[in-house]
Amino acid sequence: MPEIIVKYEDKVIERVVSEKKRMTIGRTSDNDIVLDNRGVSRKHAQIEFNDNAAVIIDNESLNGTFVNNRKVGEEILRDNDVITIGKFSLTYRSQVQHEDTGAHLDGTMVLKTKKQKELIKRDQYEKELIQQMGGSVLLGEENSDFSEYQIDHNVTTIGKAKFVHVHAKGFLLSGIQAKIVKEHDQFTIVNLGRRGKTRVNGEPINRQNLKNGDLIQVGKTVFTFVEGR
Amino acid sequence: MKIALISDVHGNLEALENVLRDIEKQGAEKIHFLGDAVGYGCNPNECVKLISNHCDIKLLGNHDFAAMGLESIENFNQMAKASMDWTQTKLKPKSVRLLADFDMDAVFLDYYLVHSSPTEPEKWRYILSIDQAEDHFEKFSQTFCFVGHSHSPTYFEKDPEGYITQHFKPEMEYNRGYRYIINIGSVGQPRDNDPRACYVIADTDTNSIIYRRVEYDINKTQDKMRKAKLPDFLIERLAVGA
Repeated sequence: MPEIIVKYEDKVIERVVSEKKRMTIGRTSDNDIVLDNRGVSRKHAQIEFNDNAAVIIDNESLNGTFVNNRKVGEEILRDNDVITIGKFSLTYRSQVQHEDTGAHLDGTMVLKTKKQKELIKRDQYEKELIQQMGGSVLLGEENSDFSEYQIDHNVTTIGKAKFVHVHAKGFLLSGIQAKIVKEHDQFTIVNLGRRGKTRVNGEPINRQNLKNGDLIQVGKTVFTFVEGR
Repeated sequence: MKIALISDVHGNLEALENVLRDIEKQGAEKIHFLGDAVGYGCNPNECVKLISNHCDIKLLGNHDFAAMGLESIENFNQMAKASMDWTQTKLKPKSVRLLADFDMDAVFLDYYLVHSSPTEPEKWRYILSIDQAEDHFEKFSQTFCFVGHSHSPTYFEKDPEGYITQHFKPEMEYNRGYRYIINIGSVGQPRDNDPRACYVIADTDTNSIIYRRVEYDINKTQDKMRKAKLPDFLIERLAVGA
């Protein structure tokens, strides 16, 4: 039986083993594989199984379906191909590789982990938050003096000084360590202070455009950037 | 103890160097900088470095803010805008990093230090008249508030009864029970019809405030500005101090 391994940011959140001829993938709960996240269409794609072959078909989704990082409309899947949909990656295995898959009920067996619930809950929270705040938001993750901060200035300063918009902590941090600049609809973070003290997703940066979900670290303080629509 | 207070250097290296020499001669123990290291003049990096190395308290001015991209320059006049565009392209990342550690305001002894005004420093208000000074006196608790920003050396004195007077004097002895807002003038672009660089020495032993005027090689500064193709008006005003 073929198996689909669903990962979210490199963490396995679900393994789906199927006997069905067709598996649908999308944001709504009536899909066989539910990927509840912005960037995923309601009926995003489907995989059709035929004898030993599997074919992925993109349902003209808004943000596309990728196989091994190539955008596809319809593509035959080979063993270990990686399908990317939004922030999720789905690895296709033509055969279940471990035996202990448990009993299957209606031909589809889903092993949902706690992790997925957490991620989905979080995504839901971010969606609500953006609606509430009406714009892009920083979420305080560590050593921050707020849980959420709406970025409503054209320039938002971050640092150790009293007068900055967003306070950050850390040894040898500059008064104004970084700024987030809003130009048109793009947010860009720029390091102004001491080198190496501003990181995005772990990498020290001088200037970088921000994407939804980016982890911003200024000194010891960590924020998640949530982009408003 | 003598404390030197300098402000509004605006990238004028020749003026700053001579002022620092004069401060040394005067035997000041501390130097505090009240903002606007850059803008207008053509040595922003050198001035930021000198100020960082020599000053104890270092504050940000509106031109420093703009140079770091923290503020839109839409409200700047045309000359300031042209020179700010120039400054932004010349300002090195290292200078930005140094400026990033400057403060918005500070307290030292019985002094409150800020670039523009004690009321909402980031709004960069001017204190030009007694009426304006009246509100600002309420916004700090110390005896003295030292400011820069307007480039015009003048001070406001509030007597114990609450009456405020404004003075333009090269020195003064301060009175017990009185409070003061003191504009220390500009090192790099004086505008009180005296082209010499201006700064202040506060002497806690003699209870006096002295405005120092220091000559510098204005021609040299102007030549450099011409080479940098900065606006003529900015070059010419240095010679007359207007």
